Amino acid sequence: MISSINKDIMPENWYNVVPDLPEPLAPPKDSKSEFSSINLLNKILPKEILKQEFTFRRYEKIPDEVIEQYKQIGRPTPLIRAKNLEKFLNYNGKIFYKYEGATATGSHKINTAIPQAYYARNEGVNGVTTETGAGQWGSATALAASLYKLPAQIFMVRISFEQKPLRKIVMNLYNGNVVPSPSNLTEYGRRVLKEHPDTPGTLGIGISEAIEYALDHDYRYMVASVMNVALTHQSVVGQEAKKQLELLGEHADVLIGCVGGGSNFGGFTFPFIPDNPDTEIIATTADEVPKFSKGEYKYDLMDTAGVLPEMRMYSLGADFVPPTIYAGGLRYHGASPSLSLLINKGRIKSDEVTQEEVTEALRIFANTQGIIAAPESGHAIATMLKYVKEHKNDKKTIVVNVSGHGLLDMSIFGDKP
Amino acid sequence: MKNLIPYFTLGYPDNETLMKFLKVIPVNKINYLEFGFPSNDPRYDGPVIRETHKIGNKNFRDDLYDEFFSYFHKNGIKMYSLSYYSDIKPRFSEFIDYLQTRNFSGIIIPDLIIDYYSEAKDTIDYLNKNGFEYIPFFSPATPDKIITGISELTDSWIYYGLQPSTGIDIPYELDYTTERINSLLPGREITYGFGIKTEEDIKSLMRNGGSGVAIGTYLEKMLEKNDEGGFLGYIDKMRGVLDA
Ligand SMILES: Cc1ncc(COP(=O)(O)O)c(C=O)c1O
Repeated sequence: MISSINKDIMPENWYNVVPDLPEPLAPPKDSKSEFSSINLLNKILPKEILKQEFTFRRYEKIPDEVIEQYKQIGRPTPLIRAKNLEKFLNYNGKIFYKYEGATATGSHKINTAIPQAYYARNEGVNGVTTETGAGQWGSATALAASLYKLPAQIFMVRISFEQKPLRKIVMNLYNGNVVPSPSNLTEYGRRVLKEHPDTPGTLGIGISEAIEYALDHDYRYMVASVMNVALTHQSVVGQEAKKQLELLGEHADVLIGCVGGGSNFGGFTFPFIPDNPDTEIIATTADEVPKFSKGEYKYDLMDTAGVLPEMRMYSLGADFVPPTIYAGGLRYHGASPSLSLLINKGRIKSDEVTQEEVTEALRIFANTQGIIAAPESGHAIATMLKYVKEHKNDKKTIVVNVSGHGLLDMSIFGDKP
Repeated sequence: MKNLIPYFTLGYPDNETLMKFLKVIPVNKINYLEFGFPSNDPRYDGPVIRETHKIGNKNFRDDLYDEFFSYFHKNGIKMYSLSYYSDIKPRFSEFIDYLQTRNFSGIIIPDLIIDYYSEAKDTIDYLNKNGFEYIPFFSPATPDKIITGISELTDSWIYYGLQPSTGIDIPYELDYTTERINSLLPGREITYGFGIKTEEDIKSLMRNGGSGVAIGTYLEKMLEKNDEGGFLGYIDKMRGVLDA
């Protein structure tokens, strides 16, 4: 385990995959004809975030103040060889996991929440707002905002709000205001509530509410995932992992991660893309949200209300309401455009796993490595277990991103943990 | 001399108004003209230009503009078509024929390398074989290898869009943009377009080696208002800025 030699492991720059893609990324498209939803981003996002969203800079310098906060919340995170699991599986190759659950808020989400709150603070706005599914992103937003003394208004998908009451307490502890979404705080939320009073809510609805709130209150919207800038910030994960492997004299044959919008996955795998053409890369989604196998690669809305521009991505449709699976963070209808392009071009493969496979994977991981991983991360672990079974004698080095811990998601085990 | 390239969508705001403006363009102040052939799906354009396509589509009659095309040709103004591949693909060779008989020099196809990347090389080869310029269109989202790879397929000038689509105003780093494109394509003629507004921007682009600018959204707004004086004044001013 290499975790605490900060100096050599933490990158000084974020890595942006766009200039290294095999084909051009389709630009965002205005979803309305009356006004430019792309121009509207000027009022929704901090200027610096917007600039980073559309930059072609391969490397973006991480501000010193952000590097310091990264250290404070526990970066670099550990890369651990899962020897107990290897033994349990009788695997002849090696299994490593990068553990983002070791950060202060328990997931990778804080990696982009910090710079977004930092730039918002620098621009002197009234506060920040966002949506959250499982509550991981909301917790990260609340902490980051609190570090920069900004108020945070968080719209939490109703079903998660009900299933995960502890998350709300965490966000409140970090001084965040949390409401279930759809809510009465926005015009859009009130409309959805009127039409579908029993809706479990979706991330798409939450995004729409947060954006409306940002526009009405001179707040800035915090981007959890999907947009390129979030993946760029998350590149600290992959860059650290790359360095950690290098220090161990290892080479990744296989990289596996889970995909909600694509931020932990892109952040973890993209830094390997330019100089590891032979590394196999696998993106796991929930069986209930089969965006890569059943979704279409097309322009689609990022948010249900259609305030944000359309992006070309794999999508199940912006009004797709997925089943209420435990991995709330994987319920999003689409996936980041850069990840979608790499899947479409065959550079990245995809896999889908069921909730049963996930629960089983989480049990095995907990019993061998002691780590109770987040249900989202459990998807990546489940794919890794399948991969090991199918490649028993290959002696490959597999690296999995465990994007978060699941200590607040224990209900996934029901009453028989 | 730096190139000033006004853009017009054919048929916008109506044929009479557009023809009136084309008649008064001072041909000694501009270098090339870019004509948008109305598209059914101008998806890489911003709201203003998109609207011009919608209206242009209703109005455009291809017999009306022939005399202008030959007039500009006689006056040494190179003409380029801005066309979406999704529109012209079914009758591509016919359309190129049409443009060539009207003395157009080349074509800009904003969606070719984005939506039809696998067809790009054959398309460019076809244009080369027919002695018609293919103007590569790049944007900040174009990967480095695509910029160099596509540029190698032609000798023509490059159209570089500074924004994700026309008439958009998103913060960008001008110096870094020109530095990147200059280092990827040393010595190449680069024309900038998409959302250029301030004179200061134009000056910086030219100082950093740019060979010209294309202006669309701003002009279309003056056409819509039938503001001939404003239009002429603007062309005059831009010429001055480019020559400064
Ligand atoms: C622990 C964890 N992993 C993964 C995800 C999925 O999001 P993304 O694909 O953006 O990483 C989430 C989202 O909430 C999460 O909380």
